[in-house]
Formats: sequence, structure tokens, C-alpha cells
Amino acid sequence: MEQILDIFLPVVIAIFIVLIFLCLIRALKGPEISDRVICVNMIGTLVIMIIAVLTVLLGEDWLADIAAVYAMISFLAVVVLTKIYIGVYREKHKEDENT
Amino acid sequence: MSPARVIIAIILISVGVFFSIVSVLGTFRFKFVLNRMHSAAMGDTLALLFVLLGLTVISGLSFTSLKLAVIIIFFWIASPVSSHLISNMIATVDRKKVLDMCELIEADNTTKENKKEQEKELK
Repeated sequence: MEQILDIFLPVVIAIFIVLIFLCLIRALKGPEISDRVICVNMIGTLVIMIIAVLTVLLGEDWLADIAAVYAMISFLAVVVLTKIYIGVYREKHKEDENT
Repeated sequence: MSPARVIIAIILISVGVFFSIVSVLGTFRFKFVLNRMHSAAMGDTLALLFVLLGLTVISGLSFTSLKLAVIIIFFWIASPVSSHLISNMIATVDRKKVLDMCELIEADNTTKENKKEQEKELK
């Protein structure tokens, strides 16, 4: 039965890679900045799932640690991007009101 | 590894793959930004849960499955927070568009303003 998994898990990884490329197309196409932030979030999730599948496929324990660290970093990236963009927008708005 | 475990794992992982495909297609199909964010958040939580559950079924009672469970718990806390931040950003940056989409709110506000004006005129 393990031979089925050896075929099935690479297929899952291939599907996730195709989905990552679709997300990139969406990020290029997206008319607003929020679309791009959403795509960054989704690509992070897909990469975490690929690393988790590789953990079981290769039988390496430490790859799960990498997936956990990647989850934290992608969460941090979204937090920083949104905070910075809200700050920049508010500053611009203040300048518009003053002038 | 018993065949039942492999079959359960394959079913769980394919459900997760289905949810991630749906969430990526949803970002293409929906027309409004908040709807797109909703479908992306669904992919973040449900797809990750099912894929990692399938992988824990494969790896059994071991240290790897403990780490995968930690990832699930962390992501179920972090993903709603990040989607809340993104929606907060959308609401501050294009407030007009959000209000235009929420026609009910706008209609409600205009009726209230009309009522206030009518009351002023009566006074």
C-alpha cells in the first residue's frame, strides 16, 4: 500500500505548484494592492502544505520545523505589509487634507 | 501500514486539495475584493487542516505528527487574524467602494438623512 502513497504524494505536490502559479497570475492581474497581499498569504499557505507533504514523503523530521517557522514568517509578513500600507495611506490622506 | 489507514489518508488529503483548488478559483471568479479575501481565508484554514490531518494519519503516533498538530493549531489562530488585518486594510483604503457594495448600509444612511432633513423642514 505504501507504493500508492509514493505515487499519490508527488501528484499532490504538483497540483500545489500549479496552484502557486495561478496565485502569481492573480497577483499580477490584481487591480488593487489588497489582492496582492491576499495572494502573498495564499502562496505562503500553499508552500507550508508542500513542505508538510515533503516531510512525510522523504521521512525527514526536521522539515516540519521548517514548515512551522515558515508559517510564523508568512503571518509576520502579512501583519507588517498591512500595518505599513495603512500608515502610508493615512499620511497621504493627511497631506491631501492640509493642502 | 494497514490499507485502511492509507485509504483514510488519501481521502483526507484529496479533500484538502479540493478545498485549495476551490479557494484559488474563487479568487478568480469573485468580483468584489472582500469576497476574494473570504475564499482565500477558507483555503487557508480548511485546506491546511485536511492536508495536515491526512499526513498525521500517515505518520501515525510519532514526533512528526506532534509537530504537524502544532502547525495546525498555530495556523488556526494566525490565519483569521491575518484575514482580519487584510479586511481592515481594505476598509480603510477604499472605503467608498466597500460602502457602494454594501448598498443596504448606504440606502439606510440616505433614508436617515432624508428623515432628518424632513424633520428640520417641519420645525
